[in-house]
Amino acid sequence: MTNLTRRGFIKLTGGAAAVGLTSSLVAPSIVGAAQQQVVVVGGGYGGAVAAKYIRMADPKIQVTLIEKSADYYSCPLSNWVVAGFRDMALQKWGYDGLKKHGITVVIDEVTGIDPAGQTVKTAGGKSFKYDRLVVSPGVDFKEFPGYDAAAQAKIVHAWKAGPETVTLAKQLAAMQDGDTFILVAPADPYRCPPGPYERASLVAHYLKKNKPKSKLVILDAKPKFSKQGLFQEGWTQLYGFGTDNSIIKWVSGAEGGKVVRVDAKEMAVYTDNNGFEEKHVGACINFIPPNVAGSIAKAAGLTNESGWCPVNLATFESKLHKGVFVIGDSSASGGMPKSGYAANSQAKVVAAAIVAQLNGQEPGEASYVNTCYSMLSPTYGISVAAVWKFDPATPDKVKEIVSGVSPAKAAEYVRKQEALYNESWYQSIMADTFG
Amino acid sequence: MQKRKIRALTVAGGLLAGVVLLGSSSAEAGATAAMLANTCAGCHGTNGVSGGPAMPTIAGMPAKYLKEVMAAFKSDKRPSTIMGRLAKGYSDEEIALIADFFAKQKWQNAQSAPQSKMATPVNATLAKQGEKTTKAAKCDKCHEDNGVFQDDDTPRMAGQWLDYLRFKVQDLKNPAITVPQADKMKAGIDKLSAEELEAVAHFYASQK
Repeated sequence: MTNLTRRGFIKLTGGAAAVGLTSSLVAPSIVGAAQQQVVVVGGGYGGAVAAKYIRMADPKIQVTLIEKSADYYSCPLSNWVVAGFRDMALQKWGYDGLKKHGITVVIDEVTGIDPAGQTVKTAGGKSFKYDRLVVSPGVDFKEFPGYDAAAQAKIVHAWKAGPETVTLAKQLAAMQDGDTFILVAPADPYRCPPGPYERASLVAHYLKKNKPKSKLVILDAKPKFSKQGLFQEGWTQLYGFGTDNSIIKWVSGAEGGKVVRVDAKEMAVYTDNNGFEEKHVGACINFIPPNVAGSIAKAAGLTNESGWCPVNLATFESKLHKGVFVIGDSSASGGMPKSGYAANSQAKVVAAAIVAQLNGQEPGEASYVNTCYSMLSPTYGISVAAVWKFDPATPDKVKEIVSGVSPAKAAEYVRKQEALYNESWYQSIMADTFG
Repeated sequence: MQKRKIRALTVAGGLLAGVVLLGSSSAEAGATAAMLANTCAGCHGTNGVSGGPAMPTIAGMPAKYLKEVMAAFKSDKRPSTIMGRLAKGYSDEEIALIADFFAKQKWQNAQSAPQSKMATPVNATLAKQGEKTTKAAKCDKCHEDNGVFQDDDTPRMAGQWLDYLRFKVQDLKNPAITVPQADKMKAGIDKLSAEELEAVAHFYASQK
């Protein structure tokens, strides 16, 4: 380890100078030295946290967060809005809290990243130089047969929280009793693996209460899905799953659930059933297209042939461009799910790595956590939790220390507690992100 | 008098532990205390100050208490929904780092959660009843100063999130589970009804 930083002054290393986020030692102030610049692209569960934790660890570093929208709408808990038991206003967050940490917040769209010139350009015509760049743009969607702009006006994905969430809630509310709701779940990998099944659960809850003759069909590209055992156990208890009267029907890819094209004029989707096209008509269709890394990540040359961004799993620094860190849904995260909590956890690893690098130190060991709740009804919650580390012996996959879901056949009070823990999780992680 | 002395000792001990930790943290391999503890913030809030009605604030709690609770989660002696799963992800040394980190943070009383729809509001009438119960049942022998006091074996109660306290007192009366408790605490709790304990939760949540 060198004792000479790029700014050319001697700093203590090793021994007493703790490497990490909250070193208790106050670093010497550098008179006349240029401030180190970090630019963060995207102000969601990943980017906002990275910006905040860099500033918390080292207020000498100047951090600029560039985000397209002044209002942020959280995806977690937005399925509650779709099912009509949560107000969209409770999903809305802003950036005033981050400004209190001394972060410069710029509401603008990033249109170009030049990794060689270490510059970011925006639609507003601004240009930002950086020493380190964090890219956290979330997901975008692959083109899909029949799902053009006109189709998207009628059939929404609502896989980014915002106006589409409200549209889907209205479409569900406008259904006649007896109508069918079709939910098309995408192939792996995609944002929020249990999300389509939570949405299905909560739509079923709405139908059971308000449209008891209606049914919900999940057309799935996959043979199995996240927390499947727990979802199906809950559906059996709550929605008659497995009986002729079940509100929810799940069709796996192998059973003809793989959707191959959308026809919005007919309000239909077509599946591939052993080489034959099968038509499915719904009064309301929720089509979640295949996911891909945010388009700015691709434009910046941060993606590979998989469509996602390969990163060094010890620091989340891009394998394709030095000094650029990709976190959250866009990253190829080595076995961690594309979840808000994983993005939050990755953001803190990146913050520690950047602070260490800019202070001429080696980044410390990474620790990752995911905690993710799903609701099967407003009083029925389940969870998955995992802890990972980076192991140099397996650089392409994070090392799972522990992982587990809620117990099967748990008592009612356990599901009820986890429902309230879900909402509590949301309060804390949003405060950690925007507060 | 005896208690006051113990409290003073605890503070001194805490400071000493902090100094030792600072000196040794970077010498050891592995993740730093901050790296480990910051992964908890997604549920327990930044630096352990929770934003939500059922997640407890752990900032400023006694390190020994936090270590014991985590060890009990890890060995499945303490019932939980998710913490039993998460605690198994950490070595005893890592748990010690995490506990010491949160012990050094500043406690903040629970504030309203305007974006929560599910939070139980503190009921002033219940809180008054609960205060009487705590005196009659001698809760204040250990949970002194209306629950503000804390030491190695006694977590702070005053200003904790109400729905967390409600879950904990409900667990104490739940025949399906056994919550590890000190003998004197168990003796007191066994005499109280679920309704009385609910009122006790409201009382401690109402304190600052």
